[in-house]
Amino acid sequence: MDTFVFLTTILLPALFDGLIVTLELIATAAPFGLLAGIGVAVGRTYGSRWISLPLRGYVAFIKGCPLLLLLFILYFGLPSIGIRLSPFLASVIGFIFCNSAYNSEYIRGALLSVKEGQMIAAQALGMSRWQSIRYIILPQALRRAIPGMTNEFIYLIKYSSLAFMITAVELTGAGKLVATKYFLFNETFVVIAIVYLFLVTVTTVAANMLEKKFAVPT
Amino acid sequence: MNVKIYGVLLVLVLAFAVCFTGCTGNQTPAGPGSEDSGANETPLYVVGVDGAYPPYASILKDGTITGLDVESIQWIAEKKGFRVKIQPMDWDGIIPALNAHKIDMVYSGMTITPERLEAVNFSIPYLTINQSFAIHNDSTITMADIEAGTAVIGAQSGTTGAYWVEKNLIETGKMPKENLKLYGNFPLAITDLVNKRIDATVYDRPPHLSAIEGKPAHIIGEIYTGESYGVAIRKDDTELLNTINDGITELMASPKWQELLEKYEMN
Repeated sequence: MDTFVFLTTILLPALFDGLIVTLELIATAAPFGLLAGIGVAVGRTYGSRWISLPLRGYVAFIKGCPLLLLLFILYFGLPSIGIRLSPFLASVIGFIFCNSAYNSEYIRGALLSVKEGQMIAAQALGMSRWQSIRYIILPQALRRAIPGMTNEFIYLIKYSSLAFMITAVELTGAGKLVATKYFLFNETFVVIAIVYLFLVTVTTVAANMLEKKFAVPT
Repeated sequence: MNVKIYGVLLVLVLAFAVCFTGCTGNQTPAGPGSEDSGANETPLYVVGVDGAYPPYASILKDGTITGLDVESIQWIAEKKGFRVKIQPMDWDGIIPALNAHKIDMVYSGMTITPERLEAVNFSIPYLTINQSFAIHNDSTITMADIEAGTAVIGAQSGTTGAYWVEKNLIETGKMPKENLKLYGNFPLAITDLVNKRIDATVYDRPPHLSAIEGKPAHIIGEIYTGESYGVAIRKDDTELLNTINDGITELMASPKWQELLEKYEMN
């Protein structure tokens, strides 16, 4: 078959459908991953022992468990206790777990980088501990965490290809199905790589703009 | 870094990628069969199989691989004077692996199809089978439901069962594309059938029977496809093709063949 015909009539339409699923996966997982990451980081840094200890366990577990295994447990394992998740939902939940655990570490590092004295000063001004975290510490820490969290977002774009292992046909999966059927692996995977590269580049540029916009004026 | 530099970088990387689409590796590196004769002069051929594909090939608890196809090639190897290494691998990448010289043949219940014939050669056919559908024992799905396109069907990606559903149910507009769930290997499809996430599974009949053994599922019907299995061999490897054709002819004429068919309950 002519490569041009293959690209335009078979590969690109299939990849477009897959790309939509990939974007849906990322768009659903990323906000929750970010929020949960902030929660876990704040809980671990400022929470009591009863809060920080379980969170530490959570992060340790997620960091130690391959995402693919986590997805298999969520998708193939949970039905044995009566929970039957759709491929999409199982993927999103897996991604949120993974994303939040790693994000929390970046944010925790940023929280620790804000000098202790600021907390004391805020409280001296009459703010509660929670208010100090919310209005003084977090706004600074989150700015410092942007590079790390961008990294994690880029990982998320690439994690999303694992959703195919539990039958959600996303970008890589859509391409793999076409490649298997027409035996055109090189062409297909190069095109997929270009699409991922495009997604990652857009993310990187957007993150740079975000960093500039929120930079603390000196 | 500013946006302009990114633009330049992106163009560079794209150019790099485009350059590589041209050279899709036909340098014919020495395959495992041509090198490695070692101490004894008998050639070694690497045989690619799907390791989760009983009764043709499956990995036993102790790690050895056996099955109808594995025993067949071992018998042929002995008669024809070569050694074999059985290599289990991913089914949907098995033809590219063959063409990339990672393996020398696929002897693993592979249906001879026109699409595959464009990529590889096939030996003479050695078995003829049909596609079958299985459902959960609690389910009331019928073949009529499946043919009407109302059931959610699971299949292994890259198999003739999956292609049958695509061609006869999806492309005819009877069934939405989302209703076909594709899995990397067949046991995962059976797991989802047992979990009642899908209504039915489609697969070649003999391995389907093996896959649902001991599971709460049963075969409800067959689709007559009259598919023939053959051994896939690289197009340029005509010598091996002749050897395997001879070997299969000898095997099918010998009492060993009936013995194997009985052992693996193929009759």
